Amino acid sequence: MKPAAFEYHAPRTIEEAVGLLAEHGDDAKVLAGGQSLVPLMNMRLARPRVIVDINRTRGLAGLGEARGMLRIGSMVRQRAAERSVLVASRCPLLREALGWVGHPQIRNRGTIGGSIAHADPAAEIPAVLAALGGEVTVRGRRGPRTISAAELFVTYLTTAIDARELLTEVRVPVMPRAAGWSWMEIARRHGDFALAGVGVMLAMRGKVIADARIGLTGVGPIPVRAAAAERVLVKQHPSDALWQRAAEAVRAAIEPEGDLHASADYRRHVAGVLTVRALREAHARAGAPRGRAGGRPRGEAA
Amino acid sequence: MEPRDVTLTINGRAYRARVEPRKTLADTIREDCGLTGTHLGCEHGVCGACTILMDGEAVRSCLLFAVQAEGADLRTVEGLAESPADGGEPRLHPIQQAFWEHHGLQCGFCTPGFLMTTVAFLRDNPHPTEREIREGLAGNLCRCTGYQNIVKAVAAASGMLTSTPRRAARARRTYGGATNGKQGGGVRRRTPEHPGRQRKPPA
Amino acid sequence: MKLDGTNTLAAPVDAVWKTLNDPEALRRCTPGLKELNPTGPDSYQATLSIGIAAVKGTYAGTLRITDKEPPKHYKIILEGTGGAGFMKGEGTVDLEPQGGGTLLRWAGDIQVGGLIAGVGQRMLGGVGKMLIGQFFKCLEQQFGATASAGDVRPAPGDAPSSGQASPRGQGDR
Repeated sequence: MKPAAFEYHAPRTIEEAVGLLAEHGDDAKVLAGGQSLVPLMNMRLARPRVIVDINRTRGLAGLGEARGMLRIGSMVRQRAAERSVLVASRCPLLREALGWVGHPQIRNRGTIGGSIAHADPAAEIPAVLAALGGEVTVRGRRGPRTISAAELFVTYLTTAIDARELLTEVRVPVMPRAAGWSWMEIARRHGDFALAGVGVMLAMRGKVIADARIGLTGVGPIPVRAAAAERVLVKQHPSDALWQRAAEAVRAAIEPEGDLHASADYRRHVAGVLTVRALREAHARAGAPRGRAGGRPRGEAA
Repeated sequence: MEPRDVTLTINGRAYRARVEPRKTLADTIREDCGLTGTHLGCEHGVCGACTILMDGEAVRSCLLFAVQAEGADLRTVEGLAESPADGGEPRLHPIQQAFWEHHGLQCGFCTPGFLMTTVAFLRDNPHPTEREIREGLAGNLCRCTGYQNIVKAVAAASGMLTSTPRRAARARRTYGGATNGKQGGGVRRRTPEHPGRQRKPPA
Repeated sequence: MKLDGTNTLAAPVDAVWKTLNDPEALRRCTPGLKELNPTGPDSYQATLSIGIAAVKGTYAGTLRITDKEPPKHYKIILEGTGGAGFMKGEGTVDLEPQGGGTLLRWAGDIQVGGLIAGVGQRMLGGVGKMLIGQFFKCLEQQFGATASAGDVRPAPGDAPSSGQASPRGQGDR
């Protein structure tokens, strides 16, 4: 299993990279972490004629905070984000979800931007972006533009990013200080793509839910933000019955596909179960201190 | 595309090769550098047999192109054992020693990948629990051993790598196994889900 | 893999039947169709370049139309092989007058095998439905946009092009 031949470029600047994409258009593929693209190339399911390797491109790996948004350069490695104290405190939902992305070796090379641009329907990072209402910056010949999470994901493996554009930055709103969070996922084996995954954020005001975000992966061609389920929760008092009502709304909002790994009914059912558990855990964490200790060991359901 | 010259720094030595951009790092290490300890299991990033260290991090060399690795500090399994200056017997790395003593390999195909993953894993988490070990090794597949002894070996290695007797004792307790290399030997840790059989004391 | 669906088209049954049997329309609307050469009555040799995002494969094969009951029913049989795998499918198309237009019911049984089926297992059903959806969306455009029965609008400027993936219809945004 060896990849087909390609023309290889390793631009040093964003301008150079964008120039190459503008020149080659649909014939070119951006190579970031390579953990999704290179397997496809090795199996010859993808045979891009031109590879634009952005691993040496400067200016894409920053990590910071500005105007209430956590800013993550598209080439920030998943492992770096997972270990980052900034990410742990500003967006612990992302940090927890990252623990479920593939395996350590994958996260050492895989990037935040790459996962989003690849838009696998069962990936974790796109679902977090969708749940929290994040956005991305892409750069083309004509300059940068912003795409919101709601517009970004089009269908399986397809985003609104044009072939001539380079994803440069990912931004998620900083989670409210006292918000609780939880990422729950079910997969057949460690590191497999999720059969269904749910990411939840709950912000409380006193005893009442002020804001709720629910994002799902693995239940459709793109990540689902369950806005109807969120509306069930806002302004309500937390209770198990409330979580169940939200889970019902989640089940009603999704149209999962069945396949060899799991039937549509199973995915729908499990999405609801995970929603209840995630809401419970998020509520328990609301107001609790964050930092490196926040988060349960991966692989354990609450 | 035309082959190009690359220089790879592997285990501290420079290797020169002339490769097409599409030649993977794994293939280049094996064919052009003659270091066949790195194995090809799946070539699509799931089995971990091709795991090497790149700038200290465990990576799948089948998912990297050789041209991408120029300038990086690459470490493969061949670099683990120490060859003494006087030309005597090479000394196994403590992790290799632990795999040896705890029967953490059978056919050995997956072993280089496990060793490299373990080097990085124990560096980052010197006192792992059993669960953390299984989690940390989840990116490496083994068809022979059933993983039991691999986990034991890593637990023992963590003990061997740590500096104080107290830490080493703790590492042994993590898996509770005997370190005498007996196959499946030693006391298994009992948990509510796996109470185990009652053992008769030796006569 | 069994798939089925219904579409409403803003044209009478005879017009729809004619279009469905017109190789030009098939050529225009089938996603990724590169070649469609008649090899006999209701029989074609076809080359399809099909896939999603970077994952594309070229399949060469045959397409046959049988069991014709004009203007309301026929069966399509297609087979193709390519580097990434093979596919075999059978589908039926049934037309019924509805209001001023046509109700089109389709049902298919498709087998996909080879590398793409193994690796792409979890997306096969969804992508298949999507590609078939593109085909019918394109047909709809030939005749004009559809709406509920009895409310037929003329050719719209805002119907999505056949090349675009079907929009996200899940959750509520």
